[in-house]
Amino acid sequence: MNTDDLISQLSQDVPPVSRGAVGWRLAIGIGLGALVSMLAVVLALGIRPDLGLAMRGPTFWMKWGYTASIALAALVMTTQLARPDSNRLRWSWILAVPVLLLTGLGVAELARTPPGKWLAMWLGHSWLVCPWLVLALAMPIFVGLLWSFRRLAPTRLRAAGAAAGLAAGAFAATVYCLHCPEVSAIFVLTWYSLGILLAASLGALLGPRLLRW
Amino acid sequence: MRADEDALRGLMIGGLDGDAAAHAALLRLLVPLLRGFYRRRASGSDDDIEDLVQETLIAVHTRRATYDRERAFTAWLFAIARYKMVDHFRRVRRLHPIDGLEELLVADDFEPAASARLDVEDLLAALPSKQARMIRATRLHGLSIAEAAEADGIGESDVKVSVHRGLKALVARIQGGVR
Repeated sequence: MNTDDLISQLSQDVPPVSRGAVGWRLAIGIGLGALVSMLAVVLALGIRPDLGLAMRGPTFWMKWGYTASIALAALVMTTQLARPDSNRLRWSWILAVPVLLLTGLGVAELARTPPGKWLAMWLGHSWLVCPWLVLALAMPIFVGLLWSFRRLAPTRLRAAGAAAGLAAGAFAATVYCLHCPEVSAIFVLTWYSLGILLAASLGALLGPRLLRW
Repeated sequence: MRADEDALRGLMIGGLDGDAAAHAALLRLLVPLLRGFYRRRASGSDDDIEDLVQETLIAVHTRRATYDRERAFTAWLFAIARYKMVDHFRRVRRLHPIDGLEELLVADDFEPAASARLDVEDLLAALPSKQARMIRATRLHGLSIAEAAEADGIGESDVKVSVHRGLKALVARIQGGVR
């Protein structure tokens, strides 16, 4: 096609774009994906029966605070990497804040507990399944983000894939908190983080293939 | 109308606000810019170059929501143009990069690390705006002197002098900071 014709054809469809369009697009993808993950938790895994009680205690909020703040930090990175001129990432250091805070809590927890119980506390009841469940719950959210990216313009595909995977994993872990009854900080720090990192690695692996445009 | 940063940015924002005429004018102004950009970097037939230009125009159109109004339009545009070029080299083997493709890909990863360390933008902010703009165009966005002159509507010698003076001032500043 002639370039002039192409331009006149493209210029026939120029809807206004709001300033927050990139953020909205990502939020919708994540929201739809998280809805599917949430349904999976409710239908397949079951909400923990003592959720109402747990929400009155501090450990639930410790877990939720950890996963939710990582999710937000990852979203900030994803939003930047969704634009083509993303040479320099801002604010990526805030990812370290929840990790360091939870590490502090974990150390305090270990100091309070006799060493003989450390292993049981670290492994909890579900260390074998926790990372895999987080990874599985991350899939619908990752797919939602792939949909979001179809209209976005990442140029560093591996980094964008990793950030999207990280966000999907962290949001999935946030949803998974509704099911998981574990209470220890070092459990969360290890096995939740492992699940989230698995999702991020998968994102980094698939990014260059799936995010091309 | 001259295709300088401010004019292009104004048209882009007009398009984002729903002004179809501004959007059409923008795309038309981008055609010569992109042709120059690709001809300088890829050897291939005119048809191949034109394919690349059209692909980039379509990307600029369909991905326009990713432009951040607070940031430089040309940086956004050439980031897309560069991406489309690398993607094109990978997909269609008819076009060949003039510089090694490897180099191009390595530079992509190297660039963020280097620029994060140096904090170029902060340094440039201390320069007079024309010098900063010209350094940005020729040294960061990879435009040639001629392209930068064209984009800003000034003479080529003016571009060279601005870049030269700006870089000299930056060197003085960095060395002053070390001492």
